[in-house]
Amino acid sequence: MILKSMTKSNLIYLGVAVILLILPFILTGRSVQFMITQIFIFAIFAMSYDLLLGYTGIISFGHAMFFGIGAYTTAIFMDRFDASFGALLVAILVAVLFAAIVSFIVGVLTLRLKSHFYAMLTLAFAGLFLVAAEKWRSLTQGNDGFTFKVPEFLRDSTTIYIVSLVCLVLIFFGLRRMTQSPFGRVLVAIRENEERTISLGFKVLHYKVLVSVVSGIVASFAGVLYMLSLRFVNTSVFATDVTIDVLLMTIIGGVGTLVGPILGAALIELAHHWISGLANVHWIFERWIILYGTVYILVVIFFPLGIVGTIRSKLSNGSKQKIPSKKAG
Amino acid sequence: MDLIASLTVNGLATGMLIFLLAAGLTLIFGLMSVLNFAHGGLFIWGAYAGVWIYYITNSFLLAIIVAIITGLVLGLITERLIIRPVYGNHIQQILITLGFMLVLQELIKVVFGPDQKAVHPPAWLEGSFQMGDVILIKYRLFIIAIGLLLFLTIYLILKKTRIGLIVRAGVMDREMVQTLGINIRFVFMAVFMVGAALAALSGVLHAPYSGVIYAEMGLEFSILAFIVVVIGGMGSFTGSLFAAILVGLAQAFMAYYVPALSLAVNMLIMTVVLIFRPQGLFKVKG
Repeated sequence: MILKSMTKSNLIYLGVAVILLILPFILTGRSVQFMITQIFIFAIFAMSYDLLLGYTGIISFGHAMFFGIGAYTTAIFMDRFDASFGALLVAILVAVLFAAIVSFIVGVLTLRLKSHFYAMLTLAFAGLFLVAAEKWRSLTQGNDGFTFKVPEFLRDSTTIYIVSLVCLVLIFFGLRRMTQSPFGRVLVAIRENEERTISLGFKVLHYKVLVSVVSGIVASFAGVLYMLSLRFVNTSVFATDVTIDVLLMTIIGGVGTLVGPILGAALIELAHHWISGLANVHWIFERWIILYGTVYILVVIFFPLGIVGTIRSKLSNGSKQKIPSKKAG
Repeated sequence: MDLIASLTVNGLATGMLIFLLAAGLTLIFGLMSVLNFAHGGLFIWGAYAGVWIYYITNSFLLAIIVAIITGLVLGLITERLIIRPVYGNHIQQILITLGFMLVLQELIKVVFGPDQKAVHPPAWLEGSFQMGDVILIKYRLFIIAIGLLLFLTIYLILKKTRIGLIVRAGVMDREMVQTLGINIRFVFMAVFMVGAALAALSGVLHAPYSGVIYAEMGLEFSILAFIVVVIGGMGSFTGSLFAAILVGLAQAFMAYYVPALSLAVNMLIMTVVLIFRPQGLFKVKG
């Protein structure tokens, strides 16, 4: 399917992927590789968010909970059972299933209502997961967290780099295929005009719940990868900060583009790295949320399309679409 | 018996504070269908600004006044700079108000420092009454009294005055009110400012009640206020009072009998309401 639609843009994406694949053999520094790996993982996470916000117009304020579900499931499995490949596969399966169930419940409860219900319920649910992770100390060791072992072959930083990159590429093309399919078209229709989509005879709720489940699964998988690269878990994976980060990545990069969130992930991760280096320079950099929040507010007001979206709308002769994603890619 | 009485007083006091917070939110939503995620930020700014004055002057009355002024000013700024540019776009509104909420919360740490602050009730509100077996803490009764007073005042304004008529009509049908030549945006701005002032008042009253304030309360109370607004019915003023008291009482009793569930109880109520009555307990009648 992917080969059949081998367009120019696909070739460019594949070219970038090949360059990134060669990169770790040139940049052999562990910390550099680790940082780029983080970018890949957060790019996957941000794409799952874009599926909701950009393609369907659903706002989630608790996306960290799916990320955290993936992270904690992996960590607990690796800690309690032997760190074998089999245990990892089971962990991934459980993480994905768990995320699917949670996103299904939240979706069924609120997606038939107006958009803010979903935003609120996810925010509150994520809060509950955070509290649960803090209080259920026998399982999670609370805020202190714990370290764990991962399967032998994943311990090398180059390997985990390549694994993350391959996952990113596969998920990117998979999601792109999905958004260009009739299913994805219906999602965009829901975003543009829900009433009309209903009157065209689509069962809008089914589509919305399904996309939220897919998004939850992908986010949970990003959490799994995050754990494999970090080998340490604590409650910070459930924190609101994670949701804010992914919001920023998606919005700054460009909603409804899938490429945008990848770019956004790179920008935000690099900015994190840069700002934490500046913390010694001036205390204001410790309060980085203010900087991010301000940038975020300005982007929402002035560049609601984000970087990729703004560039695309300029290229397509300044067409005045709200979010230009009718022809992604 | 005395236990139940004191838990009830506790719950009512919490409920009243939540009501002050939720009342503004529900009217703001009803008028312009703006969901203000920054409402908790106004709450926490009211608390900090009030407590700061309280530390300096040792006058709780002055603290309350300063908190209300802070709320009015911040309400004006929020409406003008944050909400007005994105009128009519729900997704942008939700996104932007959350961003502003976080900025407000972090600014607290910059202005007042990142540490928790301990607050005691003023001398004239400290202590308690004893009625038989029942000990009634003065400050809690004070909160309940203020809450009821404000509820009645706002209720009467909404029901008996022309301004109230406009607001109620606006909640039901915004376009129709506009057609009648009333500047609904101006009405909305006024309601937004009053709502912000109520949130700030709730914040400063909450400070001596919980004994401690910290910046993260902003988001916590944003969520709490939403839960109440959802339960009570979005746009319903009376609904927000009942829902707030329900949540307050549920919290108070759960905290005593089933502490493990006390954090989840609001969520549980909201979930049940969303399943069986998604429009909320009180629906705004059209």
